[in-house]
This record gives sequence, C-alpha cells and structure tokens, in this order.
Amino acid sequence: MKQSRYKYSALKLLKHGLTHGDWPRMWSSNELNSSYDVIIIGGGVHGLATAYYLAQNHGITNVAVLDKGYLGGGGSGRNTAIVRSNYLTPEGVAFYDRSLTLYNEMAHDLNLNVMFSRRGHLTLAHTDSALRTMHWRAEVNKLQGIDSSVIDPSEVKKEAPSLDVSSNTRYPILGALFHPPGGIIRHDAVVWGYARAADHLGVHLHQQTEVLDILCEGGEQSNGKGPGGKVTGVRTNKGDISAPIVVNCTAGWSSLISNMVGVDLPITTHPLQAAVTEPCKTFLPTVVVSGSLHVYVSQTDRGELVFGASVDPVGTYRINGTLEFTEELAGHVLELMPGIAEMRLLRQWAGLCDMTPDYSPVMGFTSVEGFLVDVGWGTYGFKAGPVSGETMAETIATGKTAELIQSFNIERFSTGDLVGEKGAAAVGH
Amino acid sequence: MMSRLPQQENEIINRSIELEFTWNGKPYTGYEGDTIASALAASGVEVFSRSMKYHRPRGIMTANHWDPGLAVQVDDEPNVRSGSRRLEANTTVSAQNVWPSLEHDLGTLNKVVGRFISSGFYYKTFMRPRFFWNHIYQRVLRKFAPGGKIHWQTPSTSTYDKRYVHPDVLIAGGGPAGMSAAISAADQGASVLLVEMESGLGGHLRWGDTSEISNMKSLIKEIENRENIEVLTDSTVTGRYDHNWVSVMQRSHSITRERLIKARVGTLVVAPGLIERPYIFKGNDIPGVMLSGAVRRLINLWAVKPGQRAVVFTANPEGDSAIRDLQKAGVEVAEVVDARKGQRIVAAVGKKRVKSVELSDGRSIDADLVVVAAGWTAPTSLLNMAGDKPEYDQKAARYFPKELPDDVLATGGIVGNGDFNAICEHGNETGKIAANRALKLRHQRQTSTAWARNPNTPSPERIEDLRNSLVREEHPECYYSTNQGFVDFSEDVKYSDLVQAAQEGFDSIELMKRYTTATMGPAQGKLETVNAAAVLANSIGTPLAEIGTTIWRPPFAPITLGALAGRIFEPTRRSALQDWHEENGAVPLLAGQWVRPDHYGDANAEALNVRNNVGIIDVTPLGKIELQGKDVSKLLDQVYTNRWESLQIGKVRYGVMVEEDGVISDDGVTGRLDDDRWLMTTTSSGAGAVWEKLEDWLQTSSNDWDVCITPVTGGLTSINVAGPNSRSLLEKLVNDVDLSSESFPYFSVREGTVAEVENCIIWRIGFTGELSYEIHVPSGYALHVWESLLLAGKDLGCAPFGVEAQRILRLEKGHFIVGQDTDGLTKAPTVGLNNLVKLDKDDMVGLPELADSFTNDRLPVLVAVQTDDTKVVPEEAAQILNGNSNEILGRVTSSRMSPTLKRSICLAQVAPEISQPESKITILLATGERVPATVLSGHAHFDPSGSRQNV
Amino acid sequence: MIVVPCPNCGPRSSSDLRNCGEVVDRPNPKNATIEEWRSYLYLRENLASWVKETWYCRTGCRKYFTIERNTATNEIRGQ
Repeated sequence: MKQSRYKYSALKLLKHGLTHGDWPRMWSSNELNSSYDVIIIGGGVHGLATAYYLAQNHGITNVAVLDKGYLGGGGSGRNTAIVRSNYLTPEGVAFYDRSLTLYNEMAHDLNLNVMFSRRGHLTLAHTDSALRTMHWRAEVNKLQGIDSSVIDPSEVKKEAPSLDVSSNTRYPILGALFHPPGGIIRHDAVVWGYARAADHLGVHLHQQTEVLDILCEGGEQSNGKGPGGKVTGVRTNKGDISAPIVVNCTAGWSSLISNMVGVDLPITTHPLQAAVTEPCKTFLPTVVVSGSLHVYVSQTDRGELVFGASVDPVGTYRINGTLEFTEELAGHVLELMPGIAEMRLLRQWAGLCDMTPDYSPVMGFTSVEGFLVDVGWGTYGFKAGPVSGETMAETIATGKTAELIQSFNIERFSTGDLVGEKGAAAVGH
Repeated sequence: MMSRLPQQENEIINRSIELEFTWNGKPYTGYEGDTIASALAASGVEVFSRSMKYHRPRGIMTANHWDPGLAVQVDDEPNVRSGSRRLEANTTVSAQNVWPSLEHDLGTLNKVVGRFISSGFYYKTFMRPRFFWNHIYQRVLRKFAPGGKIHWQTPSTSTYDKRYVHPDVLIAGGGPAGMSAAISAADQGASVLLVEMESGLGGHLRWGDTSEISNMKSLIKEIENRENIEVLTDSTVTGRYDHNWVSVMQRSHSITRERLIKARVGTLVVAPGLIERPYIFKGNDIPGVMLSGAVRRLINLWAVKPGQRAVVFTANPEGDSAIRDLQKAGVEVAEVVDARKGQRIVAAVGKKRVKSVELSDGRSIDADLVVVAAGWTAPTSLLNMAGDKPEYDQKAARYFPKELPDDVLATGGIVGNGDFNAICEHGNETGKIAANRALKLRHQRQTSTAWARNPNTPSPERIEDLRNSLVREEHPECYYSTNQGFVDFSEDVKYSDLVQAAQEGFDSIELMKRYTTATMGPAQGKLETVNAAAVLANSIGTPLAEIGTTIWRPPFAPITLGALAGRIFEPTRRSALQDWHEENGAVPLLAGQWVRPDHYGDANAEALNVRNNVGIIDVTPLGKIELQGKDVSKLLDQVYTNRWESLQIGKVRYGVMVEEDGVISDDGVTGRLDDDRWLMTTTSSGAGAVWEKLEDWLQTSSNDWDVCITPVTGGLTSINVAGPNSRSLLEKLVNDVDLSSESFPYFSVREGTVAEVENCIIWRIGFTGELSYEIHVPSGYALHVWESLLLAGKDLGCAPFGVEAQRILRLEKGHFIVGQDTDGLTKAPTVGLNNLVKLDKDDMVGLPELADSFTNDRLPVLVAVQTDDTKVVPEEAAQILNGNSNEILGRVTSSRMSPTLKRSICLAQVAPEISQPESKITILLATGERVPATVLSGHAHFDPSGSRQNV
Repeated sequence: MIVVPCPNCGPRSSSDLRNCGEVVDRPNPKNATIEEWRSYLYLRENLASWVKETWYCRTGCRKYFTIERNTATNEIRGQ
C-alpha cells in the first residue's frame, strides 16, 4: 500500500523544534504475510535498493525484505563509505559510474540527506608498476567520460598536505590516480533512505527475521533442490512464506543462503577490518588509498580518521577483529603521514566479504528458477548498492538480465570469461 | 569552588616535588603524583572543556580515564585524558574545541538552536539548495569537528615500542581480586603478568579507609615477594583476541611514550572491577555534578576538596562512604538523597558550576556539589571479545558474565559483591584454576611438536572450577529520574534524543546508536551504554534485560597509532654490490623488496655501450633456487609448461609457469649442472612464490619424489656480462672453462673459476639480445669479481649498466616481462608460447586451462608495435582504439625510445583482429591525441634473427 | 592472531604460516572436462563450521599440512 511520505526539510525541522512535535516513523512495522511476489534476503543497501527500485521503477510492491538482524547491520553498516567509479575495465567503469550518479541524486530522490561528500579520491602509486596501472585506469576512465587522471607527487601534496611525498621513504609516493568525483557518504543514511522510501511504496521490511531454509521443488537433488528446480518460498524463524522469486542479497552469508537451494558459488568469505580514531581538527580533505600498503583513509566531518585495509588472509566467518590488523594499519598510515603518531585508535571492527576469483560480483539468474543472486561483492559492495538495486530490480521485473550486469553472470566461472578487475581491485577503495 | 586540602592520610601526591605547567597559557603548579585534572582542580579550575554539540561547560565527573569532560591538549598530543594522565613538569596544557576561549566560547550559540538539532537533524535538512551542501554546510560542519589538534606537519619525535610476553596467567586489574589471583597463580608455579590501569595497585582500596589501605599494603607486599609476578601499572589490557592473544598498552615505560605489549596468554583473568555509572537528570552535566568515586578519589588520592556544600544522591554503600569522605574533607553535606528510600534528584541548576539542586519532593537546596552514587556498569569488554554475552540482572541492576571459554576467567566486582575477605578468596581460587589450566596448556604445547622436547613431569591434574560464587548484592535500578538530561556526555545526546529515535523506528540498541551517535564517543559506551539501553527500554516498553547492549569492541581504551606501529621495520634487501653501486653514482631504484641501481647517470649511453662494447649489471634479485635429487625433472615438468627430462647436463632452458587457471605467473631459465643438480632462476618478485609452489607440488602431489629445494638468491650474487666484447672480457678472468662458441654454445651452463673465485656458475643466455654470460658468484666474493671485471675490461670498454638500460635492451629485443607485459588474465597463447607448452603431458599445473586456451581465438595477442612517427613514445598503459571510436582494442604494455634504433618502440597486447603483422592501429596518447602505429612481425625490434647472441 | 599447530614446529602464531584455503580435490587433469576443472578452480563449499584446510609453515619447516578449523569460531582440532 502506497502511503504519502512525510517530507523532510529545514522548515519541518524548525516546526518540530518549536512545537516539540513527534516525528513520524521512518518505516513501519508490518506483520509477516504468508506470501509475497518477491522475497529479498538481506536488509542492507543491496536488498533495500532492490526493493525500492522494484516498487519505484516497476510497480512491484508486494515485496518483503528479510533481515536476520537489524537493517544495515552487515556490510552496509561496517564499510568505510567510500564511493568512486575509477575502475579498470570498461564494464566496471560504466557500472560504478551509474552508481555514483544515483548516489549524487540520492538526497533528492529519497528526501534524506545521505551527506555525500564529493571530496576527491587519491590512489597512491609507490612503484613503477603501480603507476603503470594508474595510467591504465586513467586512460580507460577518460574514454568513458570519467574525471580521472594521474598526478605527480607535488600535486598529491596539494590535495593531501599531510602525506609525506619525499623520495627517501620506504614506499615513496611516485604519483597518484586522482578521481575528483569520488568521496564518502553516510552509509547508514543510505540504508535508512532506501528503507524509508521502499516502506512508503508498500514494501514490507522484516527485521529479526532469519531465513532458515529455502523451499524448492523439481531440482536434481532428492529434496527438490539443485539445478533444474524452482523456488517456492522460504522458511523463517517467524514462519513459512511462499514466493515465486527469492533474491539472495546477503554478504558474508551468501554461500550459506545459496546452499539452501543447492547452488554452488565461487566464493570464499573473509573478514575485512576497519578502524576509527578519536576526532581531531580536520586536516585530510581527500580520500587516500594505497594499494601497496593495504590501507585507505579518510577523515569524517566529525574529525575522526576512518581506516580500512584489504581482507584478512585467513578466511573465516568470525568478525572479532585482530590485533595485527591495527598494528599493520598504524605502521602503514604513519609511513604515509608520519606526523600523526599521537592520534589514537578508538575502535576497530570487522565485516564479512565474499571474495570471488575475479574481484567482480555474481549477479542475476541461477540454475534454479526464481532464485537470483546479487552476491560476491568482495570489498566494494557499498559503492555498487544503488546500481545493483536498479539492475536487479530490472532483471526481476523484466525476466531479462540488465545490460550493465551481463558480464557478472554466474556462468562465467564455467565458460572462463572472467572479468578483468583482478589486477586493480585487490585493495580497490 | 575546589581547592587543595591539607595532607590526607593516604594521599599519593608528593608535596615535596612541585611541577610547573601552563593551562590555557597561564602558569600553574601541581605535585608529583597529581593527574593533570587533580592539579587543575586543586588550583580551582572548574571548567575543563566544552561539549561537542552544544558547547556546554564541562568539568570533573568521574576523575578517571573515562571522564567525558576532561579531554585536553598536552603539547602536540590531542585528546589527552587529564583525569588519568599523570602531570609532567613543563607541559603546555590547553582546552580543546573552544573558540575563542574556554571561558567565552562562541560555539555556545549552538545551544540557542539546540531544540532544532535533535537526533538525526542533519539527515533531514541541508538538502537544498544542492550547491550549498558541498560548498557551505559541509565546511561549517567540519569547523565544528571536536577534538584537539594534531601537528601533522612535522613527524612525531616520540619513541614507541613493542614487547612480546608469554605469561601463563595475565590478570587484567590490580584490585584485591586481581592481586589475590596473581598471588595464588604464582604459588602454583605460573608466570604471572598483573596489569593495572591506574598508577598504583589496589583498585578501590586506594581511596578507602585505614583498614582498607592496610589490607591493600599487605597484598602489595605479597606480590612484591614473588619473583614470578610482573606488575605493570599505568597500563591497560586493551584487547583479547582469538586464542588468548592479548594486547596491553603500557604507559609507564621509562623510554617510550607508549609501548604495545603482545601477550600469548595461557589463562586470562579478567578482574577490572566496576565502572560507576552516571545518572540521568536535568543539568546532570553541569560542573559540580560528580560521581561518588570522583569525590572519593579527589579527596583521598590527591587531597582536593571537590566543593563547599554538597547534596549526595546515594544508592549504595560506596555513596555512603563518599559522605564520610566529604565530611572528613570539610565539605558540608547539605542533604543526603537516598535512592533506597525512593528519593530522587530531579535537577541541578547552574551554569559553569552547580548552584542548587532540585529534589523529587519539590525542595530546592543550595549546593555547589552534587555527588551521585547511582550504580555500576560491568566493564565486560574483554569478556565480550572472548565470546561472552553478559546477562542483565535486574535485582543487582547490572550485567554479569554468562559463559566464558576455558582460557578466560573473571573475578572481583565484575562477577559479584563481597567484603574484602570474600573478594580475596574468590580471587585466590580463580588464580589457582587459572594457573592450573595454563600449566596444562603449557605442558600440552611442549609435547605437541614432532621433535618432542618432552617435559619430564606429567601434565598437572585438572582442578575443577568449584568456586563459591560471589553474592549479587541488591541494588535499586537507578538510571534516570526524569526524561531530561544527558545520556551520552561526550556526544551530547539527551534522553529526549533517544526517545525521538525510538519513535522514528530506531528501536533496537544498534540502530539507536547509529542514529543518535550515543556510545560512539571517546568512552565508547563505558559510561553510557546501560543508561541508553534503559532509556530505550522505557520508551518502547520492553524489559531492559531484553534490550541488550551495543557490542563492546577493542580497544578497551584508545591506543596511539605510534604504539600500534612500534618501530617501523620495513627493511629493503641489498645485494653484496649495492654499496659499490651507490658509491659509484648509481641512482637507487626500489623494486619490490630490493634496492637496485636504476642507472649511473645516462641509461641510454649504458645501453649503447652494451650494444657496442660490454656492460656488466648486478642481477642478484633474480630468484635462484637450487634443486637436487634424481626426480628434479619430474618436478620441473609439473610446474613449467615445457619438458625437462631431456635437458643435457651443461645446458639451460627457458621455461614459463602458469597457475592452475592457466594464467602466466612466472618465467626464467633453469640449468642442469649435474645429473641430479639443477639451478632454477625466477623473476625477482616471484622468487618467494615459486619456492612455495615447488614445495607445494613436491609435498602434496608427489611425496615420493627425490628432490631437495634450497633457495640461494642472496647466497649467489648474479652478474650479467653482456655485449660483443663479453667473451673477450671473460677469457681474461676464466681459465678453467673453454668459452669458445663451439664448446660453450648459447643456452649452456658451465661451472668454473672467475677471477680466481671457485665454484662460480656461468651460463650463456641473452636477455639483452647480445652475446652475454650470467655469472653466479658466492656473495662473499662478489665485489672482488665485479671489480676484477671492470679492471680487466678497461680496454674493452666495460662499464656498469643499470636496470633502466636493461629494460631498454630487452624491449629492443622484444623479451616480455611477466607482470608488465602480462597481467592477471594473460594466458600462454597471448605471449606466443606455442612451442613451450606441451599439452601431451599426463599432468602439469593448469593443464586443462592451457589446453582450453589454445582453442580460444578471442585471447589478446602480445605484439611489437612501432608508432609511425618515430619520435612519439606512447605512455605505458596507453590505450589502443578502434580508429576514431572509443572502442578499446588493446593497450601498450612497454614502451621506450630506443637509443640503438633511434626511434620509439613498444610491446602491446591487442585484440586478435589487429594482431597480424603490418596491421595499422591507433594509439591514444595521454594528451588525447590519437597516433597511428604498425604491428611488427614477432616481438623483436632489433636483431630478430638473433645473429648477435649466437656468435 | 590464532595459534596453528605445525606438526614439526609445534604451535605457532598464524603470521608464521600461510593459509592455503579449504582442501579441494583436484580432478585428474588428463581426463577432467573443463567444467569439472573450473569447479575445482572456483567453487568452494565455504562452510561456517569445521573445514579441512591446508597451511604452509612459511617461516619454519616449510611443510604443507592440513588441519581442521571451525570457521565460525576459529577453534582448531587435530592434524
């Protein structure tokens, strides 16, 4: 049921401030129906965006989004909120550029300030070969109309004065790929924005609703699961729901969910860790990434430095975090910015990343009818949230794989047509 | 008004040592043993900071590390917790986050608009006009960022360090329980590390009465008497990671500012005591509102009189003790508000200091001090990190541990209440069990190695955990008195903000935290979490026990990046000749782990000298692996794409390695020195990976093969002697090897003596395209051989050349470099390896993919390319386009201006349709210009027939 | 930093070793179809429970060995 949305504005803020009136709920709380047209597993950016675009672009509103915890509690709330589109392959660039466009428009489309801070994104090169890869990316980017270029150390210093660009360091900065449209965004607000907008279009959001099994029939396995079959619904901790279409929009649990229908995935799950310092007066205006040093850093408007790294080398579902992550991180950050040794690490955390062999996602239809995946997002799922939702919604609504995601099909792992992001995306933030 | 008291019986300040410092530019004096905050308070300072959002004045509340109002700047160091940081002489201390001054802060204007900046206000506005978000609003927001200043312009001068320890038992918390556990664990024979966050052992006994102090002293004496207990004060256990890997941040070290101690612990004993919880009421953040622990500490430890006239709100015996302390210090206790009798404080009134207090019975009482003893929060962080999910006990009004792994035990206030003896007994029993488990683990680890350094003693008998539980004393649930006041002081989050968030749908503790930022500040929820949960529980009508708390994440207290990094140790590798290179003008090049000579001044001249005379280059970083055994060729057949069994003694062969997915991973030359002795070379960056790969295939696929693998990269210094005069040069220095073309043809290997250095391996190969020899010299003699070559080659024009000249030479010859001319998807057919791939083997790495790749006609092709304009040198990574369109058909992988050919030369990966010789292609330069170029036949730009190396 | 039991060197911190991932049966490369081969290359069970995996004693004895690790808890058992 479509409801009129309570519109946020400065005027409303003033009114509530004066009257102390209550703000309406951002999203409603609904009873679990016994059937839906589409069930989306995973209440993060991907799942919520898929639901929103199904309703908004295709008029499909009998949709449920299920999350075993709270909205945005997985990767959507644990990433370092960096967005960019300077990928290596033309298909990657086109895809992420669409995402960046949607992020740019999001505050207006969803009437929620997601605080997109378009502050520029530097990917540092410490070696000849890294610099060569930066040139490669810049050239491909420019051909697609993306603002992206290689700059020299003195220009790097201008963009981020706290970086040590002298040549007598262990990992000298030889240059950087500079991407002015990149930036950071308030990741939770993106989740809430999609949740609120989807809810107002009639989508049901069910938190604390864990999928225990996916019901199938006709598949090659004795229980009806496996290739050749089709899904009929899901079993949750709150009861069974029938649905002809079930979409796996999870991260960290995508293998486990897909196992419920008998679809094998080319995925291993690794923790990705991040950390934040105490705030101090702002000094770092851009996002800085160093692939060689496995670190990326930005400073929030509150003054905290937010750090991320590459995925942990040992695959595990355990997200307690490790001490060595913080040690290596600090060492590398101080290589880049030797003046900030007195800043203190306040909190570390981890999320789960589903890594694929070619650093590209797995999206679209599978060998089980009605079971679609939007998984394998490695370390870059947040950046792709909006466009994934848009393209998955199109794929569900039309029954045809959206053009932008055709190269991300699951068949590529049997035909061998892997996507070529492997070289650049190892620490691709 | 606060002031210094006359000497207190158990004060920890040393009045004979005065320390001078400045606060906001003015001189102040404190005593040794003071914290920064106690010294300031003793001097009458009331306001220490301004709050984050509303810039409200804030003073002392907890007088310890967690105090939300006491973050100050000390010299270059921001966010120093002045409640726990010991005062040092001659420091410059100032307030943070104030402008223009602490007394007159313009940010207080925010409080005028405070009613409009409720939870999540920024999500609901600043959206229009769009331009303003990026250019105005955001800048203003950044201006109001809290925290101190980091002096990022200059590198830190502080030293930081790390230490590894392996105690059987590590005890977090040096109060009575922790000390008792340490003593009993030590008596069981365990090595014990006892870590205390405060500046001295004792926990709450330190600010207790005479009998408590005497109990404390006797425990400390017991500890000092035991050699197997190490005590660290001013140190915090910051994290417990998997398999009892425990981090400790030590601030008491004499040399380093902060030291990170990494402990592999047998049993971790968690004995942190309890953290006193603030109470929510209107005005609960005004300077002068203090927790009972704060006033007790101020009076007893530092002899600071916390105020003149107090109202005490007490719910527990510690609050009652505070009353006695206040009276002893001459503070008038105007009113005792007893929570156990249902009495409540409703509001504190005042601006920069409390002036009066309003009570639930309607009375208003003049006072400049409000003391609050509302209850306790169990700091379960370390237990959470160990997997525990603590449970709320409504009767005791706090959380308790639920289920701990075998290697973590808890004792003291975190598990229950009791008098001194009960606490000590529990600690004592805990220490025994901890030691027992740790010693069993030690025994098990000692016996688990293959080489079995078995201890002589049997494993200790396991002691069952039969500890008597400490009682859970009843305590009233005191979280809030009204729906006003601050829940999170650091983040300026009020009761009403949480209620609003819950109404808007953020009705789980995690969502609420994210929406309101409650618990996200410097104390990370240590003070605020349970209060926040209580407010949420009340506003959605759910029992507090069902709300849960936000997850406590490491570190328990913040750690400097400097301490985490320690001494940065990222060494480079240097060949035995690198000093010579640098002494002789080489420009160093960092290539992976290695420092190498890029050039000695003129790379083009160096390259031409190789073409015309002879040059020598240090190629030591080349990976070198010696393989011995009768089955080496089988292993080589497995890892290389070509065949090896037929290789004669004295011959070398080029080989390419792929991974199981068919992608090229390494290449190099391997020679057979003897029947069962081979030397393999790999790429410099791939040396480690190839070694692991050889071990892998040897061990996991074929453990009956007789092969022994020894890496010798650093042990042998490798010198390439290249150029038409190379044979003449070597003939001067080598007597025991016939270097003539007939007896030492191309792709052969000989062992011999070079410049009187025996056991050198010489092989004849040609990366540069010239007649050339690669000499592998035992590294101890490398400099001698290098200098002998230069000396002997003087009249032959011998000169050193660097990496850049070598790159030019190899590109002229068309030799590709793995990782530069290939990428993460490049398969064998792309680089034209057809003859080097033997698909008829029974097995080799990547066989099915190799076979498949040769049926794939869509793979890109590596070709030599020359621009039609000889002077244009495209950038490496320049894209190759389909004419004037933007369709990408390939890219330039290598390019240089060739000094030999005096024209630009390239290698490029291109689509098969434009890979034929004479194909005309279009290259996009970085300038945007498109230039025409032509594909050559084969990879070589220079001497494609190989006439120069086959002489 | 978890502790991994090397059969030669005894318990070691995991940074001394390299994790080589879950054990996957390698098909006979001579007979395997390309699809079977790519299943071996790419598809993983990726269970959140006990997994048999390979480790390499990188800085110690250089032995490859297998252990069972619970990927939900990081507990390790047997060799």
